[in-house]
Amino acid sequence: MVIGEIMKFYNSILLNISVILTLLLTYSVAAAEHNHQAMAQQKLNNKCKTSDINCAKTVTSAFAPNGDLWRLWSHKKNMYFQISVDLGKTFSLAKRVLIPAEKISSRNENRPKIAFDNFNGVYLSWAMPREKKYTADVRFSYSSDYGQTFSMPITVNNDKLLAGHSFNEINVSGDGDISIVWLDGRLSAELKKQGKSTNGSALYLAKGNIRKSGAVIETSSFSNQQLANNTCVCCRIAMDTNKQGELAIFWRHIYGDNIREFALLTLPDKNVHQQNETIPTPYQVSYDHWKINGCPHQGGGISIDEADEYHLVWFNQGDNGKGIFYASSTDQGKTLTKPLAIGKKSAQASHPHISQQGNNVDIVWTQYNGIEHQLWHQRSTDNGKSFSDSQMLTTSTTGADRPFIIKNGKVTLVSWQRPKFGHWVKVL
Amino acid sequence: MSRFIITSLFIAMTLCHSVFGKQVEFNQSTFDKLKQNYKDKQWLMILWSVDCPACFKELALIKKLRKSQPDLPIVIINADDSDEVANERVKVMLDYQMDDLTNYHFTDGQGDSNRFMVDSNWYGELPRSYFVEANGKFHGKSGLLKEELIKKWLNIN
Repeated sequence: MVIGEIMKFYNSILLNISVILTLLLTYSVAAAEHNHQAMAQQKLNNKCKTSDINCAKTVTSAFAPNGDLWRLWSHKKNMYFQISVDLGKTFSLAKRVLIPAEKISSRNENRPKIAFDNFNGVYLSWAMPREKKYTADVRFSYSSDYGQTFSMPITVNNDKLLAGHSFNEINVSGDGDISIVWLDGRLSAELKKQGKSTNGSALYLAKGNIRKSGAVIETSSFSNQQLANNTCVCCRIAMDTNKQGELAIFWRHIYGDNIREFALLTLPDKNVHQQNETIPTPYQVSYDHWKINGCPHQGGGISIDEADEYHLVWFNQGDNGKGIFYASSTDQGKTLTKPLAIGKKSAQASHPHISQQGNNVDIVWTQYNGIEHQLWHQRSTDNGKSFSDSQMLTTSTTGADRPFIIKNGKVTLVSWQRPKFGHWVKVL
Repeated sequence: MSRFIITSLFIAMTLCHSVFGKQVEFNQSTFDKLKQNYKDKQWLMILWSVDCPACFKELALIKKLRKSQPDLPIVIINADDSDEVANERVKVMLDYQMDDLTNYHFTDGQGDSNRFMVDSNWYGELPRSYFVEANGKFHGKSGLLKEELIKKWLNIN
């Protein structure tokens, strides 16, 4: 009897403990999740809570045909821009792009892009992350009144698949011929459904002309065409147009067993280019033998001069070549000059960008010495045959975006976003 | 009765901590402590990002290996130096059942500094792994690791 009472009491205690534990655990788990999210959000708010450009992780700069310097960035599902009429000395008040809010990829190699035509047209392209990891759509909006109003965003990729479409790049001719390229995962998504797989993404091109078509802007305003398969999945694409107005695209490709090298493709004259036309085989232009089954997060740069010579920069960490390299080609990448090493490897020289103008070839890149980020510049005044000593342009202690060089006529300008420190622009 | 509540609360808090893991900013101090904790042991340090598809394959591999041996000497570090991904990285750790581990993460805006501290020859490519010898010597490798290599390093049969 006594033992029975003791057991009953013991069981009752155990039951009480179980109930209390369950209740406390449920409450604590919910509270911890809420607290963590709240703390993370509070921390973010404390550090940068405005749409001020200083808070932006990335900034995209571009010259309009009239010489105005535009800069574009995103903050919490919105894009903002400012215009400078004095080459970046001063900027207008920030203006929000007047379109409905939506997610915008803007980190590392991914960011919104901007381009112009000769008729006050402003063209925006960005990647909008979707509900599943590594899925996004390439989005587009157009302003016919120099940024006063923008069209309702549309999705450029026409596959309607929940798949990867990002790392977009845009080029617009004076007449408004739009070329948007991006890394596309539709093939990968389709093969996955069949239990198959492919390595990397595909390079896609969309073409259209909003001005000429005059129709309502929608997905069907753009063609969609695969240009290459097996591209690296996380490096930006670079492109420029040559003397004939042909589009040259430069990207990191996957060769063989995860060898990540740069490839270059020049498309036939855009005016006669048709959907069913055979795409030329891209040239492999780097042979550094960087074998990595992962994400280099480093795209290249291309700038084509008036004599149709292609000037290229890239970064690799291969067995045969490590660091930043510059080379040029007079036959669209079929043959190249001997790659020239740029920057200080021991100081983490990386993220190069390039621009050619007149006889000048300008290259910028970042370095890091353990304390500060540095923006470096090197110039050739004989069209890439030789380069002057490199010079440090400026520094940052709060992080660094990729640097870019943009040009307008004879003006060449470097744009470098330093998050929480300030956007830096300078005429080279 | 109050003793029961206090005891229960303590247990619940302990369990709660284990459910969500400990979020720790990766800096020189935490890195030093980490190395001290694994002193005289052979271990593996893996750095990953929410922007790196191959990293998720590697996390899946670690998840698989930890099913039979949860106490493997593996340290997972999120290399996204952005507070924007704070919630995402916690969710990933939960998804890959690594919430019992201390979740180290790079500090907002200090990605290059954190990276340089680990290895001045690492340029940010991911996933990045370090095979650390018992004498503290680090051997870096970029890209998705092969299962056999991890098993061999951690003496998993």
